[in-house]
Amino acid sequence: MSLADVHISHASGALVARLVGEVDMSNAEELGATVIGAMPSDARGVVLDLSAVEYLDSAGIYVIHGMRASLQARGQRLLLVIPADSPVHDTLRLSGAQHPGEVVGELDAALRALDGSRPRDP
Amino acid sequence: MAESPATRTRRPRLGPGQIALEAAQPIVDAPDQVRASYRFSDPALSELPLDRLLDELLNRTQEALDVDTVAILLLDEEAQQLVARAAKGIEEEVERGVRIPIGRGFAGRIAAERVAIFIADVDHADILNPILREKGIRSLLGAPLIVEGHLIGVMHVGSLRPRTFGQNDVAILQLATARAAPAIERASLAARLEHEHNVSVALQHSLLPKRLGSFVGATLAARYLPAREEVGGDWYDVIELPRGRVGLVIGDVVGHGVPAASLMGRLRTALHSYAIESHGPGRTLELVDRFVQSLNEPAMATAAYAVFDPYASSVQYAAAGHLPPVVITPSGTRVIDVTPAPPLGAFPYGRCAEHEFALEREDILFLYTDGLVERRGIPLSEGIEALATSVQGAVSPEEACVAAVADLVPLTGLRDDVAIVALQNSPVPAELDLRLPAEPATLAQVRRMLRRWLVEQGAGEADVAEVTIAVSEACANAIEHAYSPAPATFELEAWTDDGEVTIAVRDNGQWREPRGEENRGRGLSIISAAMDDVQIDRQSTGTAVVMRRRLWNQ
Repeated sequence: MSLADVHISHASGALVARLVGEVDMSNAEELGATVIGAMPSDARGVVLDLSAVEYLDSAGIYVIHGMRASLQARGQRLLLVIPADSPVHDTLRLSGAQHPGEVVGELDAALRALDGSRPRDP
Repeated sequence: MAESPATRTRRPRLGPGQIALEAAQPIVDAPDQVRASYRFSDPALSELPLDRLLDELLNRTQEALDVDTVAILLLDEEAQQLVARAAKGIEEEVERGVRIPIGRGFAGRIAAERVAIFIADVDHADILNPILREKGIRSLLGAPLIVEGHLIGVMHVGSLRPRTFGQNDVAILQLATARAAPAIERASLAARLEHEHNVSVALQHSLLPKRLGSFVGATLAARYLPAREEVGGDWYDVIELPRGRVGLVIGDVVGHGVPAASLMGRLRTALHSYAIESHGPGRTLELVDRFVQSLNEPAMATAAYAVFDPYASSVQYAAAGHLPPVVITPSGTRVIDVTPAPPLGAFPYGRCAEHEFALEREDILFLYTDGLVERRGIPLSEGIEALATSVQGAVSPEEACVAAVADLVPLTGLRDDVAIVALQNSPVPAELDLRLPAEPATLAQVRRMLRRWLVEQGAGEADVAEVTIAVSEACANAIEHAYSPAPATFELEAWTDDGEVTIAVRDNGQWREPRGEENRGRGLSIISAAMDDVQIDRQSTGTAVVMRRRLWNQ
């Protein structure tokens, strides 16, 4: 029985990882490793879609911070899709901590943000 | 007659001191034989199970021939040996598990030659079994046990005094063996079938869940009843699913005996595997159907799979050729009208529709196999009606199982096996007091339980979300504290007092100070933000985190 699943796709030159389910200390690290492991080195960044996450706690936030650090080191961006009324939004609010990356409310906004940074064709 | 030279010439391979006897011609007016004939044709003998039958035959033979010892050895066909199975006066034969190869020794030669053999003096004979000499037997007479031309064993009698067994004695022994052989064959077959039955039942039980598990908001009961004669392929299963849902499976493999029980084991595993991958009931049964199609053996089964969501009080349901489920409510019982897909393995690429129905608080979902409701000469619909009537008014799944078994299982036993699994949408206790394993996997269970508990305490959506994350963080701390090679536990208590919930999490580990940017510091921030009041009591013996929050929804 898996508490959460990761669905990986590619869009706008980025890796889109959609998490579905619950994230806690039992699966957070494994989910983070799955996303980083699926990351092509030439991708411009990762869109971590957390809109279908039903639960996420401090273990999840910790892993997202870790992901941001490792992506930053490779010059890649991390965009988080966190709708305003989502459980992940509540967790971040309760934790009072700085947001672990650029946050947008929906996937399209994340992809637009990445497209904006796409180099123009010659 | 025993020393007849004619028999010697006809059976030259007999050992020293052994004399083969011609089949005795019955002597009509011999009173001994008439009496013996009555003894051995008693119809009561045919009713006895194998062990009692053998015992009775030994007694009657001993009496009829006035001998000191009687023994029956049965053929072990595979080993080509005679195995001592029952004995009087030489019980050691059986106790020591004497085995005599066919063709050797006294009994072995009777079996090989298929003739009665008389040994006047054991001391001068080729005797393989030392027990016969040890017991001081002087003279022996034995005859083969033959059914429809097949040798099934040997029966022999012995005398502690030198004795000449005459034609009359041989005739009586042959009356005994003629009566004994078919009865033994029949009883052995029954014993073998019973053994196979027992093996199948044991197999079946080993394949069924050992325990039903405990679920928040669901109470469970189940039964497996083997058929009187043959085991079948019925099964049930209870599956823990993500987000607090409970999967309930019932199934029936077509066929009987060990093959059906073995296929049942494979189907149960297949269904369980697809179910925990979070496929819905319809998709799960479609996948199991494909699995059955791929077996390349004639295999068919009916099955139903129900997923109960305790938060929505609803059931998603799909069936392949299976009988309709029964729902027991406080106001009555209803048979859920669902059209099942064809049985598993019936047609390739079958589609299996999903149905949804409500299972309100206190309602019981009752799944069963056809053995419970199918009776010869009675329409199936009447059997299902009888079941609905029987379980009416049951206030727990256990009570429903008890009622159904008491009313519908005949006293004479079942012709087909029966599986039942029942689930009740049940409330959680008003106060929680739990000891939980200090493992990360516990967290998800705690959250499920707590969500349901909070809703029942009158908590609103925000209350549920925020208290749940606070408690889960506190439990994560307890699990980290308890980090040790030995299995550890922690305690969770929760109660409500005048619209305020209090939740205490206690562990036996050492408190560790939050470390800056690390998880735990963030966890504590979350707990403090989510709850109105947090007390942390750190002792050398353990840490207690007591959290309170007034429910907004009240």
